[in-house]
Amino acid sequence: MAESSAPVPVVANDPLPPLQELGATSAPLKSAAYFIGDQCKEFNEDFMLCKNENRDPAHCLAEGRKVTRCAADVLNKLRAACVQEFEAHWNCLEWNNQYYYACRKEERPLNACAFTKLGYKKEIPGSPEGKTPIHLIERPYFKRQQK
Amino acid sequence: MPVPWESLVPFGLLIAMFGVAGTGLRTSRMWQNDWKQPRYSIDKWDDMMMNRDNKLTGSPRGQTSDPTPPPGWNNIYYDRK
Repeated sequence: MAESSAPVPVVANDPLPPLQELGATSAPLKSAAYFIGDQCKEFNEDFMLCKNENRDPAHCLAEGRKVTRCAADVLNKLRAACVQEFEAHWNCLEWNNQYYYACRKEERPLNACAFTKLGYKKEIPGSPEGKTPIHLIERPYFKRQQK
Repeated sequence: MPVPWESLVPFGLLIAMFGVAGTGLRTSRMWQNDWKQPRYSIDKWDDMMMNRDNKLTGSPRGQTSDPTPPPGWNNIYYDRK
């Protein structure tokens, strides 16, 4: 593994300078997932449509670059504004096999902080209309403690 | 009347033996998982992510929320080539 501090170019003939990939691991990414989805919707959709045309890595370098930058931006903002709630939530996820239902207690302050300080909203795409989304139900049926 | 405490010894033995075995097993599993509860029902996505976490932090259960990776690191996809 190269020990230089510069990012290593991955695809030859990339016209743009090499981009630092996202270094966050699975639990923080899962915790911030809906915020990333909310903020980076257009970039993610562009990237997916581009990949749909052609799976060659060299084809979607520009779109992928935007996706990485947007996700890194969301993570940096979360860490700057809501670090305690963010850490609490992803530590709880790590304790519970990364299941969302087990960590609603930590998720509520995180959602509140992200909304007030950063304006990030968690919306679950495809949740049924007219019913409360699962993360907003006050006393959910499925909890940590099995009935 | 004196209480027949000798008859409770087998129960105590059973509780102690099961307790020690169970606690020892749980401690061993937690130690293997960086003192977190072990992951279960791991599908291919989770396996891929844990592999990536291993490359990022040195342990499949290690976590970091820093978006900047260690120097010279690039995504696991390209390791295959």
